Amino acid sequence: MTLVSAQNITYSINENKLFHNLSFGVNSGEGLHIKGGNGSGKSTLLRIILGITTPTKGLIKRCSEDLKISYLGHKNAIKNYLTPIENLELLFNDVEIKIAYEWLYKFNLSHVQDELAASLSFGQQKKLALIRVLAQSPELIVLDEPFVGLDQTAADQLNHFLEEQLSEGVGLIFTSHINPKISCKVLDLEAKNV
Amino acid sequence: MFRLLKTESFKLSNKLKSWLGPLLIMVLVLIAFPLSIDISQYDLEKFYFSIIVVSLLMTSFVATEGMFEEDFEDGSLEQEFLIEKDFYKLVLSKIIVYVCLIGIPIAFIGALFSFANGVAIGSFAKVFLLLILSNLLLFNLFAFGNALSINKGAMLGVLSSLPLALPVIILLGRAIRSIQFGDGFSSIIALMFGLGLILSAMMPLIISAALKTHID
Repeated sequence: MTLVSAQNITYSINENKLFHNLSFGVNSGEGLHIKGGNGSGKSTLLRIILGITTPTKGLIKRCSEDLKISYLGHKNAIKNYLTPIENLELLFNDVEIKIAYEWLYKFNLSHVQDELAASLSFGQQKKLALIRVLAQSPELIVLDEPFVGLDQTAADQLNHFLEEQLSEGVGLIFTSHINPKISCKVLDLEAKNV
Repeated sequence: MFRLLKTESFKLSNKLKSWLGPLLIMVLVLIAFPLSIDISQYDLEKFYFSIIVVSLLMTSFVATEGMFEEDFEDGSLEQEFLIEKDFYKLVLSKIIVYVCLIGIPIAFIGALFSFANGVAIGSFAKVFLLLILSNLLLFNLFAFGNALSINKGAMLGVLSSLPLALPVIILLGRAIRSIQFGDGFSSIIALMFGLGLILSAMMPLIISAALKTHID
């Protein structure tokens, strides 16, 4: 099943076309890696897919209006004055929070779960933001540079978790400068092909 | 909606500066202002309401300053947009939570200080109700200003919406006169209540559109 598809997406800023007539789709259990240099429009394309930014031309189609999407952008959406547990409790109900606790353990954050998020390192905050995304049991995961700030162990872990999500039928769209160890389609914004 | 009310009240109650700051400013102004001018007790009874009006305006101004800024800066607004598809419920929840956690305590402090400064105990409930409704109106207006200039410093937007607060101040002045002279209080309260309902229903729509423009 195609979760989301882009048809002839064009986006211009001040009459400069960032990208032109892009078309692609992501099915259940399929990954799409969006590649490109700085300023090539990777993040903008993600925001267009999510419906946050409106494209100059073209259409984004979702399989359902209720498609459950989890997103992590450049901003972590972490409240610094709350602990990791409290940050997760803001989002999850009593059942979901148990899944979030398991993710805290998997990402090795259990020992800092009662400290203020402000005292966590950048990498730990990133992990916490990733837990928010993964514990939501989404149908489509959208990540903007998920590997930035993670050490090699955490990056390997994330690769493994994302592979797991793909095998469970979750769709994945992400941008990354590095080549991740995930088998997926690649959309190169500079070469303009999939 | 319940999720948002719970989330927003949890967030605000954990931000000591955001809710305690306006309350302390209210207390400070109400104590300091009468001490700093040389007026007799008789005159103070007459002028004390004016002091309350000014403190109310100031505290609403300060209370709403960071209403959306933090969520915009840390990316929470984008996350909320993905869940709700617009910001209507979020804005409404924030205003309700701000009125409950900041507006009502401010109204209570204002009513208490009025009583302590010679206003009859019978008028306590009237002053309390009046200040709650004024807070509801002011929070709506300043939230709009805050949303307008969220990426250029929220204070600028709150300042730009200050002229919109003038009709509320005029209404508040009329209501105070009606408390002092005992005439037409209920009709003014009814007018303020109606305005509060209309603003609370309409303002989140406008603010939602402004916030969407900012994250686009």
